[in-house]
Order: sequence, then structure tokens, then C-alpha cells
Amino acid sequence: MGDDHRAFLDATLPYVDVVYQVARHAAGAGQEPEDLVQETYLRAYAAFGSYRGENTRAWLAAICLNTARSEARRRRRRPWEVPAQALLDALPRGRVDSGGAVPDVADVVIAGLDAEAVSRCLALLPEPQRVCIVLMDVAGYTARETAEALGCPRGTVLARVHRGRRRLAQMLAEAGVAHGRS
Amino acid sequence: MDGHDRLLAAFLAGDLDPATARRWDDHLLECGRCWQAVRENRAGCQAAELLRQPAPAGLGDRVRFAVELAAAGSASRRQPGHGVRLRWRWLAGAGALALGLAVALLVVLLPGGRASMPAAVAAVARYAKMVPPPARQHEPGPGGRTVPVEVGRPVTLTAGGQRIVVRTWRLGGTEAVVAVSGRPFAMPPGAQGASGGGMAWSARVGKLGLYCINGRTSELVAAAVPVADLAGLAARLPPA
Repeated sequence: MGDDHRAFLDATLPYVDVVYQVARHAAGAGQEPEDLVQETYLRAYAAFGSYRGENTRAWLAAICLNTARSEARRRRRRPWEVPAQALLDALPRGRVDSGGAVPDVADVVIAGLDAEAVSRCLALLPEPQRVCIVLMDVAGYTARETAEALGCPRGTVLARVHRGRRRLAQMLAEAGVAHGRS
Repeated sequence: MDGHDRLLAAFLAGDLDPATARRWDDHLLECGRCWQAVRENRAGCQAAELLRQPAPAGLGDRVRFAVELAAAGSASRRQPGHGVRLRWRWLAGAGALALGLAVALLVVLLPGGRASMPAAVAAVARYAKMVPPPARQHEPGPGGRTVPVEVGRPVTLTAGGQRIVVRTWRLGGTEAVVAVSGRPFAMPPGAQGASGGGMAWSARVGKLGLYCINGRTSELVAAAVPVADLAGLAARLPPA
């Protein structure tokens, strides 16, 4: 196995940036994305012998998501304290009456984007939609790669990402309207 | 999601055949609801793209090191005769079990018996052994005093569930690795209590000397110098 780890690193290290994009949004509270990336690579290395090498990017994404889930399960057994204010901050503000004329959702979203708000709203999406958006729009996976990583049909991925994007845009618009950006 | 939305998702993904796609183009000109859905889809996509962020510098090095560490660990765990056939393993295993139990008891019970090296200490020692020796003697600083110079970037490791930040310093002709962690570094077998306050210990691993001060922030210094010189060397390095 002397050179196994070199072959593994040659095959996988070019994707460390992509895995990091996934890890940033898959890591749970109290888990560092860098630690998740490292754990992903260690698990991938342990399984490298049985890997058939079809799509390394998708394979790494699947391992990263599974690792994040198992870490979240492990942490759930130990209660994690979240300050109440942090939870409140994570929620977009409620829609306010803007005087009859409701501004176009897409215009509000594009006009007032900031990454922190996007990140907060993304975290509020149902997990299947959020994961599809992270893989496709943030990490740059194709729909086929995303389907492979998640083990579901490509059509399901397209449907989830469509619904998720729309919901994300709507949440951002609501937050933008509440903050007076219209 | 109804069939209409599913078709719209397929249209946006470019999955429809040309004739159906043309019909959808025409439909979008007339249907305000679908046009709104398209605009929301694009806005959501653009918003999510904002979240792309380059990986931190050094993450690749960290991953490479962790994998190399795992590879070295699995190689050292491998026994001679690893490839023997399964039935021989069963036969050998039965005999080895009794012998193994006896050896384990001896390791635990005999004073000075070899226990395993704590994972965090082993990781730092392995990292220190990988640091190449200095190419040339370091020039003294102003006033003839040798000043420590950091080599490379800090590297973050996780070993045995312990998060460790490792920095490498060059002081004169010596390379010293300084590992800092929020958790104490467990004493390896053969370590001795050392001066330095708190829970200090020193040990030797091959040519490498280890000196550790455990406290609220624990610091482990590893360098190829005599153990007796490590406390002095640690005092000349910048504080963690």
C-alpha cells in the first residue's frame, strides 16, 4: 500500500476547494468546516480501496455529507447550547405592509444581497433543498453529479433545487422588504 | 410540486426537447405566474452563488498531512504475514489470542512497560520528523543574538479528537515545532515530569526531544536537541 496514499491524494486533493464549499454548509453548530474536510478525506482514504473511480467529486461530496450527518447525530447526544438571540437573528424578519405595492421578489433579492443574509436564509430551507443548492449553486456540481452524490434521480434534484431557489429568493425578499430595501 | 412546475424545472435545466422548449418560451411570455417562478429561480441561484468562498490557505497541506499520517499509521499497524490466507489466520488467531492477552497483561502490569503513544503527541512527533533540516546556518540578528524565524505557515491538525495548531520555528541551526492545543497533551510512555510549572513533562522519541507545558492552553515543543535543552529552547520561542 506504500503509494496508495499518493494515488489517493493525486485523485482527490484537486477537489479540496469544492469539498470545502460543501463542508461550510454541511457542518453543524460547533463543527469547523476545516475539520469536516479533514475527516472527509480520512474516511475517503479508508474507503479508497473499494472506490471504483467513477466520479471523484461526487464521491467526496457524498462522504462529506454523511460525515456531517454522523457528526451531527453524535453531537445531538450531547446537548449543544445556542443563545436565544442567535436563533432570533437567524430568522428573517416578518413581512411588513409596504403600502399596497408589493415589490418584485427578484428585484428585491438582487438589489440587496449580502452573503450573511443569504447564508441565514439558506440554513432555514428544508435539508433536501438546501443540500441540492449547496452542491449545485455554491460548490458548482452538475445536476447529474448532485444526483450521484445524494443517490437520487436527477429529476428529483432539479425539482428540489428549483423549489429551494424560489423559496430562498422569497425569504430574502421578505427580509429585504422588512429592512426597507425595495 | 405539480407537473407544470416539474416541466418548468426541466425547461430551466435545458432538459426539454427543442419543440417543447419553444412552446415553453411562448408560454412564459403570456403566463405571469411562470415568469415569476423563473425570475425567483434565477434570483435564488444568484444569491446562492454569493456564498462561494475560497478554501483557507493551507487546507490542502493540512489534508495531505492528515492522510500521510493515517497512511503511516496503517502501515506500522500491519503485521508481517498480512497476506496469509484466511484459514491460516483463523488458526494463528486462536493461538495468538492467548499470547496477546498475556502480553497485554504484562504491558499493563510491569513498571516501564510500553503503553501506546497518545495520538496527539504522536501526530506532533511525526510532523516534527517530517520537517526538513535547515539548508544553511541562520544568520544572527542585530546585536549578535539569534532570533527565531517562522518557517512556513501554521498547520492545523486533529488527532485523537484533539485540535492542534502547529508552527515551525528556526532558531540558529535548530528547527523546533511548537504545537498548541486547548486540551492538555497526555504524557507518552517514558515521559518524566519537568520544570516549567503546571503539568510539564519531557520525553524522548528517537532523536526527537519533546517538552510540554499543560495548562489552559497547552504547548508541546518538539526538536532534535537533548531533552535537557528543550525548556531553554522553548523559553526563547515566541509565546503561543
